[in-house]
Amino acid sequence: MSGLARLVGGPADIGRGPVFWSLVALTLLGFALYPSAVSEFQVSNTAYYLLNIPLGLGMALLWGYCGVLSFGHVAYFGIAGYSYGVIAGNLSDSPSGPVVGALGGLLVSAVVAGVFGYFVFYARVQKWIIPILTLVLTLLLETFLGQTAGYQWRIGSVLLGGYNGMTGIPSFGFGEFEFQGTSFYYLCLVLVLACYFGLRMLLNSGFGQVVVAIREDELRTETLGYDIRARQWAVFVLSAVLAGLSGLLYVQWGNYITPSQVGLLQAALPVIWTAVGGSTSLLAVVIATFALNWLTYTLSSEGNQYAMVIIGALLVVTMLFFPRGIVVMLAEHLDRLLPRARREARR
Amino acid sequence: METQSLVLSLLYQLGTSAAFFFLAAVGLIIILGMMNIINLAHGELMMMGAYTATIATHAGVPFALTVPLAFLVVAAFGAVLERLIVRRFYGRQLGALVVTWGISLVMGQGTLLFFGPFMPSIKIPGGSFSYGDFSFSEYWLVLIAISVALIALLWWLYNRTTYGLQARAAMQDATMAKSLGVRTGRVYTLTFSLGAGLAGLSGALIAPTATIAPFMGQQFVAPAFITVVVGGAANVIAGAVGSATLLAAVKTPVGMAFGAFYGTVALLFAALVIIRIMPDGISARLQRWFDRRSRSGLL
Repeated sequence: MSGLARLVGGPADIGRGPVFWSLVALTLLGFALYPSAVSEFQVSNTAYYLLNIPLGLGMALLWGYCGVLSFGHVAYFGIAGYSYGVIAGNLSDSPSGPVVGALGGLLVSAVVAGVFGYFVFYARVQKWIIPILTLVLTLLLETFLGQTAGYQWRIGSVLLGGYNGMTGIPSFGFGEFEFQGTSFYYLCLVLVLACYFGLRMLLNSGFGQVVVAIREDELRTETLGYDIRARQWAVFVLSAVLAGLSGLLYVQWGNYITPSQVGLLQAALPVIWTAVGGSTSLLAVVIATFALNWLTYTLSSEGNQYAMVIIGALLVVTMLFFPRGIVVMLAEHLDRLLPRARREARR
Repeated sequence: METQSLVLSLLYQLGTSAAFFFLAAVGLIIILGMMNIINLAHGELMMMGAYTATIATHAGVPFALTVPLAFLVVAAFGAVLERLIVRRFYGRQLGALVVTWGISLVMGQGTLLFFGPFMPSIKIPGGSFSYGDFSFSEYWLVLIAISVALIALLWWLYNRTTYGLQARAAMQDATMAKSLGVRTGRVYTLTFSLGAGLAGLSGALIAPTATIAPFMGQQFVAPAFITVVVGGAANVIAGAVGSATLLAAVKTPVGMAFGAFYGTVALLFAALVIIRIMPDGISARLQRWFDRRSRSGLL
């Protein structure tokens, strides 16, 4: 048990001590009670903010902890979403269709990322080449999906749908039970928690320490006897699977997906969430992903055309003035304030 | 006659796509090679050049004059960008990538809000002539000639002028160059401005052949960056020329046989395979070859 506590509470992420964990527990209680306090519509919106978190976590893992930047992680989001649509759509008569579809979607994401990762990591390319190639990959995917309009572009009974996208994608469920509305919200919440704590434990483990060591100094880590290529590759595939998980939840939430989900604008979003939160903290990225999704949605639902200008400017400002991330810097500030407050309260 | 015109047409296709790759990548590769900064706002700088040329043409300025105008406008913008933002990211490659991406988002979205979703295009200057069964556009032949002239001009700039010497010195060892009296800050501003200006120039040159829209920069992202990745940063001009020619040789036959999309897919695969063999790009390989030749006294 103490081993588990060490894994969760280790130094890989900000946030330790009883004050922090009671805050986490309170927040979780708030999220658990939230659906009973608001309308179905708001629950559904909040589920959308939550379902993007695994994608953000994947970016934090890859960029912040491993030092590898990808501008095309939405490609794996889209690949998983489309694969789920194809598999679950074709198995719509079978009660296990959605489960097979979900596993298939994650598998396809992992395989594509594995092949792509083999080329870039085993070639030991320079650091700046990976973001460029991942970006090109996702742009190609968008172009490809965009020209799949028409009846000849179908897999089994499912149409890919060109620029209008794939519609009528089945919701997730087991047998008769379907995750919709409030139950889908809880599904997202549980998965986000599992991803967060799973990653936190992974990064506190020996594997995680080596990953961080690779970020700090590739050559030194390698001369200590670690195969850095295999670890970078594994982290890349894992982060692609996390992006795929978000893609699955997205298509199960809205029952459709369009090629613009893998386009340039969408590709920018995970990078922005991670940079604004602070790429070296999982928790900061969780908070930033949730907050920025809320912000984007609120801005654009008010018909504000400046939404993407504001988000882009936010990225520039963060990189200029808060290079370690806004949430991380706020947290460090709080951390400095808190002990003093406690000392003063004791007096 | 039949085969002759086919060969000529193939050469023309190769030449036009090599010129396209070169023009799309030249500004980017200069900034990368001389400053080690990857400028993801490159596509938007090209878009800015295309907009400048289009607006000036519609205002009655002859097209030939709008091209240098686009160079100047975008170069000035680039200088401002370097002074205000890019300057803070020297030595932080990934940070520079991310911040220039933010800039590109703001530029693309800002153009959309300011100028609307599209702009009336300008028509391709010059006519076309036919030889055998194929017809050739005079404008693209001019673009090939301009590309060759640009290569010569850049070679001259970097090998025969004081600025070129200082820029190469700052690239090799900034501290050493500084202590020898080179004002590296000013050299970097000039280099970034030159790279941005060349992006604007290319954007203006390609404008008549493209749809003028806020997100037109995106279509240059894939070709420009693949050219740069394949070319590498060891020798700017050799890399750009070698990579543009090689990629044109990959894309042209695939594109002619299976359509433009598969031509681009072939490009990505070619890039993946080439970096697997030559992780530092063609230019590193070429540079080593040049070095060997010059050591053995052949060059």
